[in-house]
Order: sequence, then C-alpha cells, then structure tokens
Amino acid sequence: MFALADCNNFFASCERVFRPDLEGKPVIVLSNNDGCAVARSNEAKALGIPMGAPLFKIRDIVEKNKVTVFSSNYALYGDMSHRVQEVLRSFAPSVEQYSIDESFLDLRGVEKADMGAFAREISRTCRKLTGIPVSVGIAPTKTLAKIASKLCKQYPKLQGGCYMHCPQDIEKVLRRFPAADVWGIGRRSVKKLALLGVNTAWDYVQLREYDVCRQFALPGWRTWKELQGVPCVEFEDYIEPRQSLCVSRSFAKEIRAVGELSGQVATFAESAVTKLRRQGSLAFEMAVFALTNRFHEDDPQTFASQVVVFPDGTDDHAAVVMAAADAVRTFFNPRYGYKKAGVVFTRIAPREGHTGSLFRDPEADARDARLSRALDTLTATYGPGTVLFGIQGDGRVQSARQQQSPRRTTHWGEIPHVTVK
Amino acid sequence: MQPHPITDSESFESLLVGAVKAGFPSPAEDLREKLDLVKLLVRHTASTFFFQVDGVSMVDADMDEGDILIVDRAVDPYNDCKAVCFIDGEFTVKRVSIGRAGVVLLPCNERNTKFRPIPVGPDNDFVIWGVVTYIIKKA
Repeated sequence: MFALADCNNFFASCERVFRPDLEGKPVIVLSNNDGCAVARSNEAKALGIPMGAPLFKIRDIVEKNKVTVFSSNYALYGDMSHRVQEVLRSFAPSVEQYSIDESFLDLRGVEKADMGAFAREISRTCRKLTGIPVSVGIAPTKTLAKIASKLCKQYPKLQGGCYMHCPQDIEKVLRRFPAADVWGIGRRSVKKLALLGVNTAWDYVQLREYDVCRQFALPGWRTWKELQGVPCVEFEDYIEPRQSLCVSRSFAKEIRAVGELSGQVATFAESAVTKLRRQGSLAFEMAVFALTNRFHEDDPQTFASQVVVFPDGTDDHAAVVMAAADAVRTFFNPRYGYKKAGVVFTRIAPREGHTGSLFRDPEADARDARLSRALDTLTATYGPGTVLFGIQGDGRVQSARQQQSPRRTTHWGEIPHVTVK
Repeated sequence: MQPHPITDSESFESLLVGAVKAGFPSPAEDLREKLDLVKLLVRHTASTFFFQVDGVSMVDADMDEGDILIVDRAVDPYNDCKAVCFIDGEFTVKRVSIGRAGVVLLPCNERNTKFRPIPVGPDNDFVIWGVVTYIIKKA
C-alpha cells in the first residue's frame, strides 16, 4: 500500500496557523512578485477566485468579500513543510517528498488492522502537531492514493483520511473521476482523450492496452496499470540529481542600470551554484537571460541571452558568479526595462568520476575549491547571503512583497508575540 | 624512509610528540562534543514553536516582557498547565484549569485581580494553541 499526504491549500494554511482568526474566512497567497493568486483557502475558491488569477483581475472580489491577501513567505512555508515531513516520517519507514506540500509514504510492510483509521490518524496528528490540515489517501498504487487523497478534500466526512482498496469501490470512484485529473495523464492529453471517447478515469482503464501504448506511450501505460491497482511507479526516497537547474525571478520594478541587473543576476548565479554543489554536480554550460515586461506593449521588447561554456566543468562559486555578471554586460542595453532575469545550467554532470583538465593550475584550483567550501559552510551555518561577492551589491533580490507575514518560525526577530493575562 | 626500531632511549611517547609539532596531541582530538540547548529544551522539533512575551510585565508572574516561551503542540493540555491560547483575536498566555467543572482559564498570576477566571463554554471562540514547556528569561 502507498499513501499520499497532501497539505490542503498549503500556503494559505501556513498563514492560518498563526492567524486562527482567519479560520473559515477567505485567504489567498500571491506569487513571488505579488502577481497572481497561487494558493486559495476553500472560502476563496468558493468565491470563484481561479488558481493563478492575476491580482488586478480579482481586485473587486477581494475587496468586496474582505479576502485576506498575503505575499508569499517561503521561509515560513519551507519550515512548515519540513515539520509536516517529520511527522509523516514517524508513520512510515520511507517517505518520498513529491513537492513542497505532497509526500508519498511507502506502506509496504506496514500492517494495520484498519487502514482507514490509520489514514485519519496520520491526518489528525499532522494537524495537531503542525496546525496544517492534511488529506491522506491510502491505496494499492501511488496513482490511486492520489485520487483517494482528493476524495478527502471533497468529502469532509472522511476526516482527512481515505482508504481505497476493494475493486468495487475503486471502480465506483474512477467512474466519476475526470481522466484529465489523474496523476500522470495531464491536461495536455485532453484532446487525445476526447478523440478516444475517454471522459472518466474508468473510461481510460477500459481502453485496450495496445491503444494506451500507442497513444500515451510508456508513462500512459504505467498510469493505466496503476489505475488497475498494479504498482508501476517506483518509490523514490532519494531525488535524482537534476539535469538542468534554473534560478530566475521577475523584478518588482523594471531594471534599467547595468550594475543593478548584473548584481541581481550574480545573486541568482550564486544561489544556482549552491544548489549545484548540494547535488554534487558540475556545470559545463550556463545560459544567462533577461527579458522585458510583455504586458507593457508600448515599450520596446527584448529577450536577451548569453551562453557561457565551462569546458572543464565547474562548481566554483566565484567562477560562475563572475561569468554570469560578465554575460549580462554582453547583452545589456539601456533602451530596455528588464522585468525578469535568470541563470540556467543547461549542461550538468555528476562531479564524481570527473577528471580535471591537464591544462589547469592545480594549485589555483585547490585554492578556489577551498574558498567555495568555506562559502558552503557559511551558507549552511548562517543562511544565504552571509557573505557576498562585491558584484552582488547588497545581495537582496528586488521584489515586491507588500503583504508578507513575519517569518515566524525561522527568524528570531519575527517570532509571534503573546500577552500574559 | 627506513623502518625505525624503538630503542630504549626513545619511548613510544616521544615518537608521538615528534609527530605533532605543537606538543602532546589532545586526547579529545576527534570528539568535539558540545552541550546542545535545543536538545534540552525541544522535545519535538516538528511541533515546537517560539513566542515572545509582550506587554506590561506583571508583578510576581513568572513571565516578563521579552521572555521567550517554548511552546510544544505535541503536549496535551493538562490541569494547571500554561498554554498559549487564542481568545478574542489575540494570542494570550493563560493558566488552564481542566477539572470537573470543565475548562477554566485563569490569569497567570493568581494575585492579579484585574483578570478574572474565564470558564470556557461551547459559545466561546477559543483554541488552546500549544502548551508552554519552557520559559527562557534573561537573568
């Protein structure tokens, strides 16, 4: 058996943990630059606020219904996510984090007389210990567990836990579950599904194996098997190193000065190298890009980019940061207001087993490696931005977060206050 | 290098000293153990949160302005525990009396007559957010 634990409206729920007064009231959380609604409480969903709606389009609904609006507070969400993970780990020998708010639990070997009660217990414990409401679905495969967890959200009577195992129950559920909402099928297949007359997950299961393979290839076949209760999606309690790695942000105000843009990009590069080093990889190629605001149609538009090659591969902080800042100077043009920029490592390989080049100075390399390791340690101990390269300026990423709540669980100066009465 | 037999004049110890220029090596070289306050004060890392005491300090209360409260949501409220409660839209620390009469919120300081005991009924909009397990205060 597998379980999927999915935090309900995660970002909105994190905000509510410290604002019990918002329980039962509409809450939304905005994306990085206060652009769009990326999380909505059930009450906000009921008001018809769509996922991803730009704030300016929903301003009327927000004001009329006194919707509480938060800027995103990733320090808080990251910490709360770790707490939920920790609770989940106490229930299963192996937990795979699928996203910031979803985890799979491998329950093979976990014997419980009443799996439904077990699902509810996991949900109740997460809520009690962390304050986050969690929907737990248990089923013979990961794909079915995901469906079971969605049922918890539809039916509050399930009390956050749903065990779906006997074939008749599964059939009943699949007959009413839209095929496009099944994990692994996806919205892109909607047209194809319609052509085959597939509306529900059950219709999908009824397809002939041959047609599934031809139309949806291997991933589609796996989903088809999983819906029939045959586990095909491997349990991954370690995460594959990424093949490419991107750090990008949009800015609150357009940037028109080369120093400012290269400083921001240097900070993105620095955070990309930190991620690269954490997964033990070397970068062989990097693309640096910047673009203008496409919503300002009257302004001149550009998408500029510059590719940098590291022939011997690198995971050196200084080398990457400097190269990224230099790349910005090659394409920067003061005619444009840059709205977004980023750094992508487009070619990555594991550091292990990589031999250096003959034409390098081993002593200088060793010195750079020592510096990079020192930077890693400082970041791990004191947090990102503790030491900066001069080019980064103050190292702060310029962004608009007007309604950000305090980082209550990660910064001493921002912990919540109580009165004693 | 040639194998070097230990002769009478050279004790094993003197060889060791020779290997470390600064003198006799510390027997605790590889054991840098430290007392970890977090281990002492935080039983459950997933459910422990910190709050800071606000407002006027109260005479004889064991909490003063600026104190840090360690609050553990894993601890079930017990009779006469101190807990962070959410009442009337604000976080307040109360002594919680749990008895036959039900839940009664008492002021943290018994001698303070300004705040009366509040019996909690079904109509009250109130949650016990978490139980206070430690109070960190400046000496």
